[in-house]
Amino acid sequence: MLQKTSRRIFVRRSAAAAAGVFILPNIVPASALGLGSRRPPSDRIVIGAIGTGSQGMSNMRDFLDLKDAVQFVAVCDVDSRHLAEAKQTVDSANRNNDCRTYGDFREFLEKETLDAVSIALPDHWHGIIYTEAVNKKLHVYGEKPICRTIKDGQTIVAAVKKNNIIWQTGSWQRSQAHFHRGAELVINGRIGKITYIEAGLPDGGGGIGTPPVQEIPPEMNWEMWLGPAPKVPYRGVSHWNWRWILDYSGGQLTDWAGHHIDIANWGAGLEYTGPVEISGTGVYPMEGIYNVPVEYDFLCRYVNGIEMRVANASILEHGMGTTWYGEKGWIHTDRGNVLTASDPKILEEVIGENEIHLYKSDNHWQNFVDSVRTGTQAIAPIEPAYRAISVALLGEMAMTTGQTIYWDPVNETITGNERASRLLSRPYRNPWSLPTV
Amino acid sequence: MRKQYLLYLLAAALITLLPSCKQTPVYKALIITGQSDHDWKVSSEAVKQILDETGMFSTVIATSPGKGEDMSGFNPDFSGYDLVVLDYEGDTWPEKTTGSLAEYVENGGGIVLYNAKSDPGGASADSITVSERHDFEIRTTVSDHPVTKGLPVRWLHPYDEIIQGIKFAGEDVQVLAAAFSGNPFSGTGRREPVLVARNRGQGRIFATLIGTPDGKENQALHCAGFIVTLQRGAEWAATGSVTQEVPFDFPTAAGAVLWTDFKGMTPEEIFENIGNYDIGKSTKYFTLLQSQIRKAAGDEKKLLKLEKNMVDVLGNDEASDDAKKLILRELSWMGTDYCIPAIKALASDPELSDDVEFALTRLQ
Repeated sequence: MLQKTSRRIFVRRSAAAAAGVFILPNIVPASALGLGSRRPPSDRIVIGAIGTGSQGMSNMRDFLDLKDAVQFVAVCDVDSRHLAEAKQTVDSANRNNDCRTYGDFREFLEKETLDAVSIALPDHWHGIIYTEAVNKKLHVYGEKPICRTIKDGQTIVAAVKKNNIIWQTGSWQRSQAHFHRGAELVINGRIGKITYIEAGLPDGGGGIGTPPVQEIPPEMNWEMWLGPAPKVPYRGVSHWNWRWILDYSGGQLTDWAGHHIDIANWGAGLEYTGPVEISGTGVYPMEGIYNVPVEYDFLCRYVNGIEMRVANASILEHGMGTTWYGEKGWIHTDRGNVLTASDPKILEEVIGENEIHLYKSDNHWQNFVDSVRTGTQAIAPIEPAYRAISVALLGEMAMTTGQTIYWDPVNETITGNERASRLLSRPYRNPWSLPTV
Repeated sequence: MRKQYLLYLLAAALITLLPSCKQTPVYKALIITGQSDHDWKVSSEAVKQILDETGMFSTVIATSPGKGEDMSGFNPDFSGYDLVVLDYEGDTWPEKTTGSLAEYVENGGGIVLYNAKSDPGGASADSITVSERHDFEIRTTVSDHPVTKGLPVRWLHPYDEIIQGIKFAGEDVQVLAAAFSGNPFSGTGRREPVLVARNRGQGRIFATLIGTPDGKENQALHCAGFIVTLQRGAEWAATGSVTQEVPFDFPTAAGAVLWTDFKGMTPEEIFENIGNYDIGKSTKYFTLLQSQIRKAAGDEKKLLKLEKNMVDVLGNDEASDDAKKLILRELSWMGTDYCIPAIKALASDPELSDDVEFALTRLQ
């Protein structure tokens, strides 16, 4: 189903010659696409939001900051307080009181007629809601990591391909100049052939023990918040802190895979493949309901010989960020405009006209809007997002089982390990199931 | 033939007995104490217990003359020991005594400096301060030294003082672990050494700067991190290598671990307790079980033994629902055909039916 790396790079190289015309819509003058002049509301992309907690609202504000780009018309959340705040933000932007609200995404998707939807939910909901939204042929801005399990990811990728919609992953580092520059220098061989990569992600934090069972806050639909995840009593952990519980997330590792592993793959030409051998260890909390690893350190070997080490930052020499090591030097990049190299001269290198020019965007949300308008692929499409989180999920399996995992990145199966294969999916609680594509 | 058979039986019996009976101590350790600004009676007894708990050491305590008393006759014979532990901070020893200690280590002896604010290697005590007592994170700074190999990079240590400003003399000094001493607790705003190792002559010196008694609960002394690093440091100082495994409940960045009687749990004790597992009280038995499963990876015999233990809990009417739920979750990926009947037997229990379905979906 998926192409091997070497094939993909070949396609990219040949495409690069014609890049300005075909794959880089923002090189084409905006006016040529009808983007230059002020658009009437009727021309704006009609969009809704599912999940209006901190990240959902942050994305909404980023969309609203764009000039006349989108028109939010409906919002959906299982927390009525979050929902009311979202409606207020939308109504205030629209200068009316018309934003519709939903507590159930099924009703939202059934009743609303939209161009696109912005989705920011705990990971355990991604498989169902991303697939349902894509099956409705909506264009999706979806938060990373795009899935909690490999099976969820495969389903979402298949749905996006089948429905031919525009997908933008919230891997916004791709739209920052220094990450783009680092990846472009690497893919054009400025540090020679890549042999080794380090992705440094945040360390895990302290626990909270086991808080007592609490009354569910009146604004919260706890049953719907849990959805397909195992039923547990409410202990005050939902918004934000779901990330420290394995039923909903893999911790900092899976949260940040969509950033620094994604950038690592982008520069090394690995964004359409996966590792073949994964092994490593995690350190897990002894006490309390937070059970994601607080330290993790695993090594992935790719079929072309590249090795990628993924670890919490305090273990690694360069700490946070992505570091590519090539035969002629290294390049390190991280948030806060960090772009350094073994020799600073490398960073001044010019990329020639006939070399590889990676997709360029300087605003992640604008890029989604432009892609929807022009029908061209966005900078962070679905499959690279799936490949980035797969690295973390395979690492999670190696740490859970204590074994080396052998992965076939073409057929997307685990070889010779029945136990690890069972970890490719998490059974959903009744009545939920992964939608068919 | 018959003789050989008996031999097998004997060997089998020995193997079965070995884990439950302690090995005979092979190393002699001497703790020197008698003066300190902490309660040295408490600390030296604790250190003795911690060393003896390894089964490797047979430890005796020697007490020096008290503060201001005549020290001239204080001259223990170090040569009969594999390890000398100093829990001592006070009046200067006679030159002869420090000389024979130096000779002891030069000739291959091992020294552990417990909570040392003065270093016989020559550090000055003038600039040394201590922080206020608080919980703090310790970072393993050297991960390939025998003492720290296999430890988490970060681990929490409860309610202790950070000893600040010690400078260990000697080129080959290795700071194995350190703690940031923050300003809110009268800290220096710097990283201070916590575990230090040094080769000297034919011998080795290990220093631990944590585990100060507080006169109350002595959490710092009961910290599994303090205990385990002291045990490993002592073995390294005495022998040059470490054979002890890092226990599965070594503390992490998520929380400290206290060992009430200075020892961790055996796998047998985990299973004795896991039936009573109640998520509201403690999750540790389950965490320990998971770590046992990981350790057994690739060994079908060991995994099946664990699976049988888990199935016993499923069939135990006394075991809590929390315990059964978590065991069902674990069996869902690591179980074999063996566990399936026991899982199916729980399907009619409304409290467990979701979890039974979860497990069976994955297993079948």
